[in-house]
Amino acid sequence: MADTERLGASGDPARRDAPVLRVRHLTKSYRGRTGLRTANDGLDLEVHPGEIVALLGPNGAGKTTLLRQVAGQLLPTAGTIEIAGLDVVRRPIAAKRFLSVIPQECEPRGDLTVEEEIRGFAALKGTPRSAIPAEADRLLAETGLVEHRRTLIRELSGGLRRRVLLAVALAGPSTRLLLLDEPTTGVDPEARRSVWRLIEGLRARRLGILLTTHYIEEAEYLADRVVVIDGGRFVAQGTVAEIRARLPYGGRLEIRGLDHLTANGRALVADLESRYRVGLKLGNAERLEVPDPFRPEVVAELARLTGEGVQATLAPVSLEDAYLSLVGTGAGFDA
Amino acid sequence: MSVREGFRQVAVATRMLLLESSRELGLVLGFSVIFPVGILFFLNVLAAPDLRVQALVGTIMLDMALLNVNALAQTMGQDKARKEFDLWVSLPVRPAVYTAAVALSYLPYSLAAAAVTLGVGIAGFHIPVPTSTIPTLFAGFFLVWASTLGIGFLIGALGRTPRQINSYAQLIGILLTFFAPVFYPVTVLPVPLQWVAYAWPLTWGSRYLTAVVVGNSGMALEAAAVLAGYVVLWSTLIALGLRWRQT
Ligand SMILES: Nc1ncnc2c1ncn2[C@@H]1O[C@H](COP(=O)(O)OP(=O)(O)O)[C@@H](O)[C@H]1O
Ligand SMILES: [Mg+2]
Repeated sequence: MADTERLGASGDPARRDAPVLRVRHLTKSYRGRTGLRTANDGLDLEVHPGEIVALLGPNGAGKTTLLRQVAGQLLPTAGTIEIAGLDVVRRPIAAKRFLSVIPQECEPRGDLTVEEEIRGFAALKGTPRSAIPAEADRLLAETGLVEHRRTLIRELSGGLRRRVLLAVALAGPSTRLLLLDEPTTGVDPEARRSVWRLIEGLRARRLGILLTTHYIEEAEYLADRVVVIDGGRFVAQGTVAEIRARLPYGGRLEIRGLDHLTANGRALVADLESRYRVGLKLGNAERLEVPDPFRPEVVAELARLTGEGVQATLAPVSLEDAYLSLVGTGAGFDA
Repeated sequence: MSVREGFRQVAVATRMLLLESSRELGLVLGFSVIFPVGILFFLNVLAAPDLRVQALVGTIMLDMALLNVNALAQTMGQDKARKEFDLWVSLPVRPAVYTAAVALSYLPYSLAAAAVTLGVGIAGFHIPVPTSTIPTLFAGFFLVWASTLGIGFLIGALGRTPRQINSYAQLIGILLTFFAPVFYPVTVLPVPLQWVAYAWPLTWGSRYLTAVVVGNSGMALEAAAVLAGYVVLWSTLIALGLRWRQT
């Protein structure tokens, strides 16, 4: 993934434009049965035109709370939010002209056809009447819904309904910030990839896109910048490479079948365990944190292991490793 | 945002909702034809001869109010559940645009129900309604619709979940059916309950319609003024966007 080239730190023209979204010291506390619960705690964030930012965090981290405040659905407890320089709390209607949203788990009302829905929302968002048919045609083509234009929304599959929501979000003449709250949760892997391609295809529009996800792959595939959120706070921000680099190790050596090692194999594994940290041990498999998976001496360890018939694999650290160490859940063991 | 754009948005949103409700006609027909005619049939059999006008007016009132409460509150409830409500809140529209569109999309059915009930009452049950009062009655139907709107809106805006909203709508429906003084004169109620009844827009709606049919213009004007007061109250609440943005 070319995430590093894409963002190009401060030299990228995207970063020099005024941000489409500026969030300052944002705090949101919900008043619940058990007292106040702080779901967003002093968040600062900017999204620039043409930039895709992924908010990555576990369930309950505060992602939806942040997006709903930006979308003007929820009033902040403290802090400010500006869309295209307009304060969302004080000037909601003016600010929302530049905004489009797909709320989490949004199911559009089902009794309109795809085309009626798109035309209706285009009109509501200010597209002049004469421009609506052309805009609807363009959006139908762009989201791959041309053959479904006369189908009732409730008759579409979940994946296609997400595309309708995306078409609706792209309608209107003035959107500059797009908020997508878990755009692919609950759709099948193939539909997920088609939604990714659609979002990726939006780069040409130079929108600022803020999406939330708990799929690491999604952040890796789409985002120029990843913001990791946990317990209402940002725990890391940067490109995928930058976040990966925060880990104190560069690769992981995974060993399986620990319960049927030969004597030599057992000795080799014990030696490795004495030199490298054991990151995760699950059943008869374990993961060792090694410095750099491309260094010859590390590759040689792998060769020695496989030579003794030990099932072992070597991989560079992933965003997932970094993410798990940041949010401190330590769950999952993938090969 | 200009007022003109606001009206355009209401027109667009109402049209979308009308298209949708035209695709679930069974439900709407039930509310606007079968239900009122059924009630009218029973009431007319039960009512004493001098209360037949009251029974007719009561049927119209009850049906309009029930449709208003259910349609508005439940649409808001469903929209909240499927996050369509969130989608609307994030649009550059005023809260009144959304509420007005939902309400207006049921107005044709409300008026149709009133017209059908009136027609069946006059033609089928020979209830004495002077033809000359029909235009004034229709003005009254509109006023009744507008003055009961706020009940559905309050339930829809204050309820958080469709379950909660449905329960409140049901409860109000039961209260309306049994305890609203639309089928009997308000004076049959014990005095404390009469005071409660006077705070209820349906009481005034029913007074207005009865006054028009029997030709008491003083009473009609008084009731119309109270109904107009309710319309102003609801419009203010709707324009302010009660619970449009959550805290
Ligand atoms: N309306 C609400 N009232 C009270 N607590 C809420 C509300 N919405 C969310 N929360 C709480 O705030 C925290 C963050 O929730 P949310 O923003 O939905 O997280 P995420 O989208 O990252 O899963 C959770 O602990 C959740 O229970
Ligand atoms: Mg969420």
